[in-house]
Amino acid sequence: MDTNWAEENLQTIRTLMERASVYRRALAPIMLFVGSVGVFAAAIGFLCHFDSPDAIDSLWMDTAIFAFTGAVLISRRQAFKAKEPFLSPPAKRVVQAMLPSWLAGLISATLFRLVAVNDPQLFWWLPPIWMVLYGLALYGAGFFTLRGIRLLGWCFFLSGLAALVMLAIKSISGPLPPLIYAHYLMGFFFGVLHLAYGAYLYLTEKRKNAA
Amino acid sequence: MNPEPFLQLDRVIHEKGRLAIMSMLAASPELSFTELRDALGMTDGNLTTHIRALQEEGYVSVAKSYQNNRPLTTCSLTAPGRKAFAEYINLLEQIVRQNKPR
Repeated sequence: MDTNWAEENLQTIRTLMERASVYRRALAPIMLFVGSVGVFAAAIGFLCHFDSPDAIDSLWMDTAIFAFTGAVLISRRQAFKAKEPFLSPPAKRVVQAMLPSWLAGLISATLFRLVAVNDPQLFWWLPPIWMVLYGLALYGAGFFTLRGIRLLGWCFFLSGLAALVMLAIKSISGPLPPLIYAHYLMGFFFGVLHLAYGAYLYLTEKRKNAA
Repeated sequence: MNPEPFLQLDRVIHEKGRLAIMSMLAASPELSFTELRDALGMTDGNLTTHIRALQEEGYVSVAKSYQNNRPLTTCSLTAPGRKAFAEYINLLEQIVRQNKPR
């Protein structure tokens, strides 16, 4: 009797099970936390007049590290409560999908810090680049978690591209606005947008549980 | 070769479409009807027929609720379904082992 079909069936089962095991932790608390941190950082940057490339870079890199650490801790707590492994296969896939963009964001921050020494206005290009990269990271992660994350990724990606185009047009027509306004851009996208999506998830998850 | 494991295979699960549904549900606490349909590339009618067959066998439970004022159908494996699926896999592995050259 030919038993290749048995091996093929097992392989198909394995593939389907991998495809079905998506990251299903509640993302609302993570989004709300990240959004709050973003808004808070933008407020600090603006109120404390962080308008040099070094100050902006340091503030937002520290913010990113803080937000990332907080998100990891929230996710770990959820896994602990559900008695599931923290680094489950879907969680690993989400991290793997986001890692290249995160790395590119980190490298671009370092490069722009060096490049903007002579021309601080060049630093204006960094926030939109971060938005594009973050959008790509979310889009990649969206294949292993809620589909809405992919939409959020598109939102960051397209907004980042639009901001790049606007910067290009503005830089041709004249000098760019003072760097302090970069906090508005960062605060709106990395703060308010996360908060809005977190609130949407919170309300829809709550309604789903109630149903 | 011993045909015993092959004869013991659960005929309900052994069908290609139902096996795919069971595999997806085994890896997730629950999946919506649309998630299953999109992932498996089945038509609504085809998926409904397979789910009904699995439901009748007591392997799958179907829950209906509302999300954003839209009806939401979610499917999940029952305890007997999980057990039958695990047995099915064991038998497949047994068949593969039997066929391996020593």
